[in-house]
Amino acid sequence: MRIFPIGRLRGTGIGFGLPAILLLLAFFVVPVALLLARSVTEPQLGWQNYAALLGSSTYAKVFFNTFFVAGVVTAITVLIAFPVAWALVIMPKGWSAVVFAVILLSMWTNLLARTYAWMVLLQQTGLINRMLMSTGLIDRPLQLTNNLVGVTIGMVYIMLPFMILPLMGVLKKIDPAILQAAALCGATKWQALRRVLLPLATPGIASGALMVFVMSLGYFVTPSLLGGASNMMLAELIAQQVQSLVNWGMGGAAAFVLLVVTLALYAVQLRFFDRGEAR
Amino acid sequence: MLLDFDKLGAWKWALAGICALMTLFLLLPILFIVALSFGSSRWLIFPPPGWTLKWYEELFADPRWLGAALTSAKIGLIVTVLSVALGLLASMALVRGTFKGRAVLRAFFLTPMILPVIIVAVALYAAFLRMGLNGTLVGFVIAHLVVALPFSIVTISGALETFDPAIEDAAILCGASPWEARLRVTLPGISHGLFSAAIFSFLISWDEVVLAIFMASPSLQTLPVKVWTTLRQDLTPVIAAASTLLVALTVLLMIAAALIRKGKTR
Repeated sequence: MRIFPIGRLRGTGIGFGLPAILLLLAFFVVPVALLLARSVTEPQLGWQNYAALLGSSTYAKVFFNTFFVAGVVTAITVLIAFPVAWALVIMPKGWSAVVFAVILLSMWTNLLARTYAWMVLLQQTGLINRMLMSTGLIDRPLQLTNNLVGVTIGMVYIMLPFMILPLMGVLKKIDPAILQAAALCGATKWQALRRVLLPLATPGIASGALMVFVMSLGYFVTPSLLGGASNMMLAELIAQQVQSLVNWGMGGAAAFVLLVVTLALYAVQLRFFDRGEAR
Repeated sequence: MLLDFDKLGAWKWALAGICALMTLFLLLPILFIVALSFGSSRWLIFPPPGWTLKWYEELFADPRWLGAALTSAKIGLIVTVLSVALGLLASMALVRGTFKGRAVLRAFFLTPMILPVIIVAVALYAAFLRMGLNGTLVGFVIAHLVVALPFSIVTISGALETFDPAIEDAAILCGASPWEARLRVTLPGISHGLFSAAIFSFLISWDEVVLAIFMASPSLQTLPVKVWTTLRQDLTPVIAAASTLLVALTVLLMIAAALIRKGKTR
């Protein structure tokens, strides 16, 4: 409800947005565009960087590592996050508040600090190996860092909150009466879970999974600290090409591949899963 | 049935158990770092043989750690001010704007949030090499601002959307100029959003690692960069002490943010 002349007085123009627009144009859009342009102009004009990127077995391994880790991390995260989000939605308020506070705390704890903790916990003489050895499960320390196992553990740890929060949002919106109806119609708990709760939660699971997958693809810090030199992932490849090898063409090409995959997956998410939120 | 905790029967305990394990999984590494930072063993043995403050002494005695912390704080404060100021203006345009294409503009403002930071970092690194901004305070501030601004815009435009424009109208009807109404009525009305945006912006800058690694020079680095370079040589407990300080500030600011949110809903 607006009082006619004032609406016009109060309305602001695009001018207010100009400082932010200019900042992002100058220090986000143009630099990213220039980086991508370098992928087809350096060392000379042409597609040779992409041909090298897609044709060599070294880079194929980087792509495999990236997508494999992102996939495994996403799967594990969904398996853990679903029951946790479910519990959080129906638990007594006091308990869920405590768990929720821990989730937020972990989300906002410095990424390096968390990765450092896992480097120490997972090393050969670390707590995890010593605990496993003292229980007699293993008699020699497991190699848990400098490989994809370490990366996966560290990444699951970091991604869990990003999966739990969207899942909670979906589960909260489900009307408990629907499940009561299922019970009245004679469904067992398993049947109700498989045929009612899971299908209703699927859009949330899918969009959470997509988000975690995309974030994992572009992660830099955790893979490079826990993965070691021989298990490189895409983000580290970009950094290495640019910083150590000063190969801007190849760095730009790898960045372009990451950018296209990221935007494509976000487009999928917007198209299929986010209709309710977008409104 | 499945959404009623008391009627879950045995499932209730399974769910609660998974939830408890996950909470421990999330909490333990953080408590572990804090414990290590007070542990006397150089070799990061847990539980430590004794307790000590020597890693903190080492941290505070080293001008490079102290300098990095001060640089982080300085950059964080400048980024906070700029991010809130630009975020406020941009939110006014987005929420109260009367021009076409506001949805597109909003999407544009939020893109730095969805692109992997490594792409932004490498692109800015290239641009700054040409402009001579790598390793400078200005370079750090711009880089951190690019990633903090979207969060600021989301927070402030959220607050502005829930603030009833009729109150601003009323002020104008009572004789205030549009500017007076904005400054003396709307601005105080959305102050909780501005404070939240400030806290988020500071935290994003304070914790930013990837951009900072590319912006840093041997003479100018932030605390996370110092942690990063030290980590790559050695897992010394001094890093645990530095990490504990990073965590402590984060917890304080999170509590502040929660209090602001609580004050708003009252």
